[in-house]
Order: sequence, then C-alpha cells, then structure tokens
Amino acid sequence: MTLLPLVHDGLLVGAILFALGLVGILARRNLIVMFLCAELMLQGIAVSLVAWSRQHGDWGGQMLVIFVLTVAACEAAIALVIVLQAFARTGRLDAAAWQSLRESNLPRVIDHGLPAPDTVAPRFPRLTPAGVLPEQDEDEVLHREHV
Amino acid sequence: MPSSVATLLVLVPLLPLAGAIATVVLGRRLGPRAHLPAVAGIAGAAAVALLLLLGLGRETGDGHGPPRPVEMTTTLWEWAGIDAASAGGTAQVTAAVTPDGAASPQRRFSIPVTLRLDPLTATLLVVITSIGLLVAVYSIGYMHDDPGYPRFFALVAAFVFSMSMLVAASNFLLVYVFWEAVGACSYLLIGFWFAKPEAARAAKKAFLVNRIGDFGLAVAVFLLWLTYGTLDFHDTFAPDGTLVTAGILGQERLGDAAGIVGGAVGTAICLLLLLAACGKSAQLPLHVWLPDAMEGPTPASALIHAATMVTAGIYLVARCAPLFVASPGALALVSVVGTTTALFAALIGTMQNDLKRVLAYSTISQLGYMFASLGTGTLLGFTAAIFHLVTHACFKALLFLGAGSVMHAMGGVIDMRRFGGLRRVMPITAATFLVGSLALAGVAPFAGFFSKDEILASLHARGWPDAHHGPHHEQGHGAGAGHAFGPAAPNGATAATVAPVFRLVAASPGQEAAPSGLDALDSPGTFRLLFWMALVTAGLTAFYTFRAVFMTFTGPTRIPEAAAGHAHESPRVMTVPLVILAVASGLVGWWLFGTHTLASFLAATPSLAAPSVASTAVPPAFHLDLALQGTLAAALGIALAAVGHLGRRSDGPQMERFLGPLGTLFANRFYVDQLYAATVVRPLQFVAHVAAGFDRSVIDGAVDAVSGLPGAVGGVVRRLQSGLLQRYALAGMMGTLIIVLALAWQLR
Amino acid sequence: MSLATTFPPPGLLLAGAVAAAAASLWLLLPGNALGGDRRIRSIGAALGVAALAGLALSGRRLGGLGEEGVFLVVSGVAIVSAAATIVSRSPVYAAIWFALALAGVAGVLLVLGAQFLGVATIVVYAGAILVMFLFVLMLAQPAGLAPYDRVSNEPLLSALAGAVLLGLLTVSIGRLSGEPPACCQVPSRTTAVAGGTTDAAPAAADPGDPFATDHVARLGAELFGRHLLAVEAAGVLLLVALVGSIAMVSRGASVEDASADGRAPA
Repeated sequence: MTLLPLVHDGLLVGAILFALGLVGILARRNLIVMFLCAELMLQGIAVSLVAWSRQHGDWGGQMLVIFVLTVAACEAAIALVIVLQAFARTGRLDAAAWQSLRESNLPRVIDHGLPAPDTVAPRFPRLTPAGVLPEQDEDEVLHREHV
Repeated sequence: MPSSVATLLVLVPLLPLAGAIATVVLGRRLGPRAHLPAVAGIAGAAAVALLLLLGLGRETGDGHGPPRPVEMTTTLWEWAGIDAASAGGTAQVTAAVTPDGAASPQRRFSIPVTLRLDPLTATLLVVITSIGLLVAVYSIGYMHDDPGYPRFFALVAAFVFSMSMLVAASNFLLVYVFWEAVGACSYLLIGFWFAKPEAARAAKKAFLVNRIGDFGLAVAVFLLWLTYGTLDFHDTFAPDGTLVTAGILGQERLGDAAGIVGGAVGTAICLLLLLAACGKSAQLPLHVWLPDAMEGPTPASALIHAATMVTAGIYLVARCAPLFVASPGALALVSVVGTTTALFAALIGTMQNDLKRVLAYSTISQLGYMFASLGTGTLLGFTAAIFHLVTHACFKALLFLGAGSVMHAMGGVIDMRRFGGLRRVMPITAATFLVGSLALAGVAPFAGFFSKDEILASLHARGWPDAHHGPHHEQGHGAGAGHAFGPAAPNGATAATVAPVFRLVAASPGQEAAPSGLDALDSPGTFRLLFWMALVTAGLTAFYTFRAVFMTFTGPTRIPEAAAGHAHESPRVMTVPLVILAVASGLVGWWLFGTHTLASFLAATPSLAAPSVASTAVPPAFHLDLALQGTLAAALGIALAAVGHLGRRSDGPQMERFLGPLGTLFANRFYVDQLYAATVVRPLQFVAHVAAGFDRSVIDGAVDAVSGLPGAVGGVVRRLQSGLLQRYALAGMMGTLIIVLALAWQLR
Repeated sequence: MSLATTFPPPGLLLAGAVAAAAASLWLLLPGNALGGDRRIRSIGAALGVAALAGLALSGRRLGGLGEEGVFLVVSGVAIVSAAATIVSRSPVYAAIWFALALAGVAGVLLVLGAQFLGVATIVVYAGAILVMFLFVLMLAQPAGLAPYDRVSNEPLLSALAGAVLLGLLTVSIGRLSGEPPACCQVPSRTTAVAGGTTDAAPAAADPGDPFATDHVARLGAELFGRHLLAVEAAGVLLLVALVGSIAMVSRGASVEDASADGRAPA
C-alpha cells in the first residue's frame, strides 16, 4: 500500500517515541522513571495505531487505543503499589537493589564512581528587609513548606 | 597314538594344573595344609612321567643297530585355523626349495594343540616332575612360616604345568606360548616377596632380559612359518594316509636331503633361536638376570633357576638340532657362546661371598658347558648335553636346597663370611652338600664326572678330528637307516670329511662351498681353543665350589646373631629330599653312562635320529685321557681351595688378596651390569621420563582442556545471570535485534 | 520532495542518523562513561537534533512545509519532551517532561484525526496517571537527588539497542511506502463497506480534516456497538485493578501495624 504522508510521519513519530521509551526502561535505575518510560512506549504505540486507523479509514485502531488507555491506567495503579512495597522493603527506589537472583559465584553489583550531582540545592539570596513588611498571616508563616 | 598313552601324556601337565587351580581356590581355607593339592598334582605327574619313560624305553629297543626314531603325538584340539592364510614356504616336502617360492599353493594356518612323546620329551618330563616334587616337598618345611604359603605352591604347580607343556608341545607357537608362561612363573616367583624392593627389581630385570630372548624366538617363529609353511614339529596325515603337512622336524622332512633350509635364512633362524636360548638359559650377553634372581625363595631358585626353566634353552637347541646342523656357522657360534660364558661365569664365581650367588654363577657356567656340547653338532654332543642337563638338575637342585637349609638355620643370613664350621651343627646338610659339590666338580664316580667327560670328549672330537674318530665316522655313515643321504661323499673314510659333511647337508643353491663369515667359526681351530677353555673352567668350577664348601662347613663354628639360639639341622621334610638328591647325584651318572641307556634312548628322538645328526654317531667309549685331564683339573681346583680356605682359614679373604685388581674385576662381574645400565637402562629411563612428561602435559593437558571447556564456557556465560532485571531485558532486546537484522539482511 | 531526492542516499543517511541517535542518547543518559556534565549533555542534545533531522529526511516524503507545519511542531514537542523524560536526573523533572510529552502526543493524535483520543490522553494520562506518579514520588523519593538517579544501567548498549531498533523501524516504515507486489494488495476501506452495521468513514477520504463535527458520536457508536463486550471487560478490569491495588496496599499496611503491635498479620 502507499502510505499517506501524514500516516508515514505519524508512524515515524510513534516509532521514535517507542524507541525512546525502550532506551529509558533499559537505562534508568529509578523505578518510577522506568514506569514513566513504559507509559511513553504505550504512547508511541497509541500514535502508531491511530496512524494506521487513519490510513485504513477503520475505527479499530482508535478502539484499541481506548482500551490501551484503560489498561495502562490499571497497570499504573498496580505497578505503583508494587513500587511502594518494594520501597518498603529496601528503602529506595533503585531497580538494582534487587540482585539476589544472580549466580552464586558472582559478586553483588555496586556502583563505583558516581558522578557528582550537577544541581546543588539552590541558595536563594537573603535580602535585608527594606521598607514596610507586608502583613503576614501567622498561620501561613508557620505552616508554609519550603518549596 | 594308543589312547592310554595319550591319556597318560595329557595327565602329566594336567595334574599340576589342577593342583595349581585347586590351591588358588582352596588355599586360604586349607591353611597349613595348602600344599596338598599342588604336591599331590606334581607327585601324580611324576609317577605318570616315569611310567611313560619306562614304556617308551621298551619301545626304543635295546640300543643295538641303527637308531629308529620313535615319536607319538596326540592332538587335543585346534587352537587356531585360518584357511588359505598364505602362499609361503615349501609346499611339498619333496619339491626343491625355490628362493622366490612362486609355485607354492595356498597354505592353511593351523595351530593344533598337539602333545608329543619321544625320548627327549620323556626324559625332560621325568626331570621336571621329579625335581619339582622334591622341591615342593622341601618347600613344605622351608616356606612354613610364610604368609604367602598357598601362593607359593600354586606358582610351583603352575610352573611345572607350563614347563611340561613346553617340552611336550609339538608346535613352535605353543612352545612360544609356554616359553612366555615359564617366564611369567619365574617373574612371579622371583618377586614372591614383592614388598622387598630388591626382589621386585630383580623380577622386573629377569622378565625384561628374557623379553629380549623372547623377541628372538618370535621372529624365529615368523621366519619358520615363512620358510616352511607350517609350525608343527610332526607330520600331519589325512585319514587315508596321504601327507597333508610335513612338519619342520617330522620324519618326512628330515629324511629328505633338501628338507631343511640352510644358507642365509637358515642361519638367521638358528641365530634367533640361539638368542632366545641365551635369554632363557642366561648365557652371554643376557646372563645378567640370573644372579639377581636369587632374591626369590631358595626352593624356587632350585627348581627354576637351576634345574628346569633355564634348561628350556638347551631343550630348544636340542630339539632343533637338524636346523642347527644345516647352518654350521650358527652351530659353532652356539659352542663359542657357551664356552665363553662358562669361563666368564666361573671367573666371577671365584670372588662371590654369597653362597647362592656362587651357585647362580655355577649354574650359568654349567649351562655354558651344555651349550658348548650342543654346538659341536655331533650326536655325541647333543646327547652329552642332555646327559649333563639331567645330572646337573640333580646336583644343582641338591646344592640349592642345601644352601636353603643353611639359610633357614642361619636366620636368613647367606653371606659365607658370617658363618663357618656348620658341619657340626647340620651334619646331614653338610654331607649332602659335599656330595653335590663333588658331583659339580666332576670327581669320579659322581654324576658330574661322567657328563663332563662326555662334553669334553665331544669338544675334543671336533678340535682334533684326526684322532681316533675317523673310522667311527665311517661306521656311523654306513649306518644311515636307509634314508637318502643327499649329495654326501660316499667314501667317508677320510676324517677330513667330518667337517664338510655338515656343509653338504645344506641344500640351498646359493650356498658357497668355501666358508665365509660366520661359517669360518666352524673349524677345528675354534674347537681346540674351546676345549682348553672348558678344561680351565672345570678347574675353576672345582675351585669355587670347594671354596664355598670349606668356608661354610669347615673351620671354627661361627653362628651369626640372627640365628643365635636356634641354629639346628633342618626338619625331615627338608632333609629327605636332600638325601634323595644326593643318592641320585651319586648313582645316576654311573648308571646312565655305564649302561649307555640314555645315549641310545635319546638317539631315538626324531630330531636326533635325522640322518644329518645321526650320521655323526660314534660307538660309546670311555676316553681315559680326557677323564684324566678332567680329574687333574678338578683336583688342582680343590687343592687350591683347600690351601685358601680349609679349616682355620675358612673366613679369610684369601681370594681378594691373591688376585688384587683382577679380583676386583671378577667381583664386579666384569662391569657388565654397569655397562647395560649406562647404554640401555639410562637412555630408556630418559625416554620414559620424556614420555611421561608428554603424557602428563600434552595428552592429559588436552583432555583436561576438553573437560574444562564446558566449565570455562559456563563460567563466561554465567556472568550474564547478574540478577539485574534491566540487564536481562537488554540482553533479550539485543538478541532480538540481532535476529531481526539477520533476517532483514537475508531478505533484502 | 526536492530535499529528499537531492540529499545523500537514504541508506547512508539512515545509518548516519541511527549512529547520531545512539551517540546522542548515550551522551545524554546519566552516568555514562564520559562523566555526564553539562557540556557533554549539550553535545548530546545537538547530536539528537541532527539525528532527528536525519531520520525524518531518510524516510519521509516532505510535502510543503506549510501544511505539515503544525504536525512538525507538535511532533517535535513530543519527541524532545520524551527525550528529556528519559535523561532527566531528577525524577520529578522527568514526570514534568512527561506531561509535556503527553501534550505533544495529544497534538499528534489530533492532527491524525483522533480528537477524542487526543483529549482522552490529556485527561487520563496527564490528569490521573501522572498525578499518581507524582504522589508516589512524594512518598518515596529521598530528599535531594538519589545516587541511583545519577547512573544509568549500561548506557552505551541501551542507546545502541534503541537506535538500531529505530533504524529498523524507519526502514520498515519507509519500505511500506513503496508499491507492494501484486499478490499483496490490500483493498483499502475508503470505499463502501459491506456487512458492517455502521458506515464508518471518518475523514479517511479527506486527509487532514480532524474537525469533523460528529466524530465523537461515531466513535461512541462504534465503541458501544461493535466492541461492547470489550467495554464491559475493560470495566471489570478496572474494578479488579482497583480492588487489587487497595488489597495489596492495605495488606502491606496491616503487616506493618501487626508487627508493630506484636499480633499476627490478618
């Protein structure tokens, strides 16, 4: 078949999103970020499906995307519960915290040479107050969280 | 062969075999009576052998007239048979030997298990079984406390079986089989106390040196098959009486002048047989194993290394007499080797201080005498050798058993310098030992005197053929029993034909008339030298024998600490065989020589009744001049020994002082062992080290590498299982991509 | 079109684009072998843009810039945001970038003619799922940047795998644009359909009109007509997920309470 140019581009976008999501799942260690990348892959699939639907003039693609959406929601819910349980066990959201199914003669993989964090906590300047200070609500001052 | 005789003949090896098997099976359970099956088996065999001898003696007649060959064979079964195995050898016994063997038809390779009975076999069977019986009875007392008591008797019975089969087999391949079997029994008996490293080493040395001889025998068997197309001694007939196969030593072939092959091939066969005989009978240069074999128990030494196994070589040469007579060079070499060995061993024996070693070298020396006699190639020579074999068996076994008795009483000490004057402690042993020594020294009328006299006579006859042997030759020539003689000179009147007779029997067309190479040995000059060497050796024999007697039994009584307190005469079970053997040593020689039974009996053996051998027969005569020379030599030897060691001087190192550096040479056995060690043993050990290193590093290394490969691969692949989920996903992803890329590449 | 035909041949361009994509992803991912500081990241970003351009050129037939302009902008937003999602060191920032990516995806869906889905993406994903993610981050993320956010798991191999996959997909999609062999012609459904209860033809014959007025009505008719069973099943699935997640959470909670009180867990 000959693809419509729009469909062609749409498929390309979907492929790119899918590939990016795949790289993210394989590379990132934070469990939450891994799931975000899984959702990204699903987005790519959704775009591809809609493109095909557009190509064939068929509603089936869009139906499937609706269900993909539904299932993604369910999956996200349960996955996050699992992530929370995992956090409760190990105290961190690291995928590399779960290594005990390795071969018995292999050592534990430990991070060496971590790069330094490239954002330090921002230091906001403290200005000397000038003029009349605005009126502040005591409650608000006491209960404001640092952002 | 009448079936009763066949049964009896089969019984002779079978009874000791049954005894051996019964000892192996029941030995442990019988405990102190473990000797019973073996002794019973050997006793039965001895009785049957004696019966056979007497029966055969009646068959051969009374010794007058021409010798009529007597043999009986019985075939038990065919061990191996291959149709159309080769096209080699002389097909028909009457056809001329063609160098290329082109016209020979296909031959069947057949090894029948055939036992034969002829005078030579019967004599040897009696010797083997009776000496075996006496040694077995003696061992009941000698090996009394040994933990390996049943094993010893099983081995002795197995040995008697093997040796009986060796002399009764009628096929060269069977002889080879039992040649090896007696070698194996010898190895097991020398290494009987295998926990002792010297004994194990000595057993190994004996086996390896024998192996060299066995190699010679094997190649000789191959050559015999190629030359003659059969390995049987006897002729094989079809049921209707036609000749199927003419055996190598069968009467069909021996009666044919062209039957036995001479020339290069014949000489090669004879030289190889001589090599085998040297290995088994401990002649130069393969004599080195026999002195070391004294590490075994003394009864084993008496049986195997004095009386029976070492005589297998003598038997082989005597059996193959027609083959040797057809190769005069090889025949003369037999005599040269024998006499040289005799002198060599006698010189070494004068310096030995170990009683058993003295007897071992004495054995080598006496075997050399037998070879010297065999090498003369006359009927007298062959029969004298067998005569000496019989008498030597008696007195050498006696001497060894006596030495065992001494060793038993002295608590295992056998060094003559450590004890003395034992005739007061062990009178029976001393008396019997003295009888044996007199026989060995060749003092009349003991056995050794007559047999040694015959040997000297045969050497003398070859060395001085003009002396009173010519007319006898003519008489012997005319007595050829009607068989075709071949192209011999019809008027054998001149004595100078004695030597050419041997050459003319050889029928190979390539044979030159003038002696060349090895045949140059076959001259009267050689035999003159050999005669003088033999005479000197006789004197030396008397000397070292009586040196041993005086050192051991005369002088002040000294008992080593190992035996202090229980040095006594041996029990009756040990002294009775000694007495029997002493009586035999005293009487056998006189009786056999006086009645000429042995000579005429043996002359009926087909090998010795062959015209080539029988034509050299002379009427039996007692050579007074030779007897006097021999007795003089013996008396001189005994006198020198008395001067050196009799009485109070029995512990003195007289020989060392007297001979000086020569003595060191003799004491170190002419450094032959060291020579072998340097030229043969060390290079082989080096090769063995190299091979072992190669085996360990290369071969084992390769196998270990192959076996380690899965482990190594697994070790690498295992690293994939890191436990990290994302790495698994990555691996899966990459695998999928690779597959898809491959497919895409295929489909582009 | 003129651009596509006069540039370097598609194979080489594609290979270059794939390599550039791999390199850019690698440089951008945290904890790669070169250190991952700002300079490296900017190089990676530049390479990424180049890769994107190459991929786009190697497979597409570019019409006039104008009519595809909206699509370009929207898809660019989606892709750049997605890339930022996967390489952000802070998971909160990754979630924000994800939200932006969703916006881009919604725009793409709208351009492709799935209006309902575009809006549904925003509502469901950005409105519900993303908020859930942020809640969990709030509960579980350590203060400051966690060390495991600063490293990647095999950055080079992952980037390579992703880039090769992308190249493959691009080639496959590009090949689809060519004429298929005579045996495999699939009749498109732009013509009238026989046997269907609906005469579904939402703007298929009319490329580029995503604003047909009865789009949602038709989608609803299709959904509850032909796919009613699936809708019911999806509903059950949602219920099950709801119950399951509550059960798992409360179980974990009850375990903690019980162990604190010393009683056996319920």
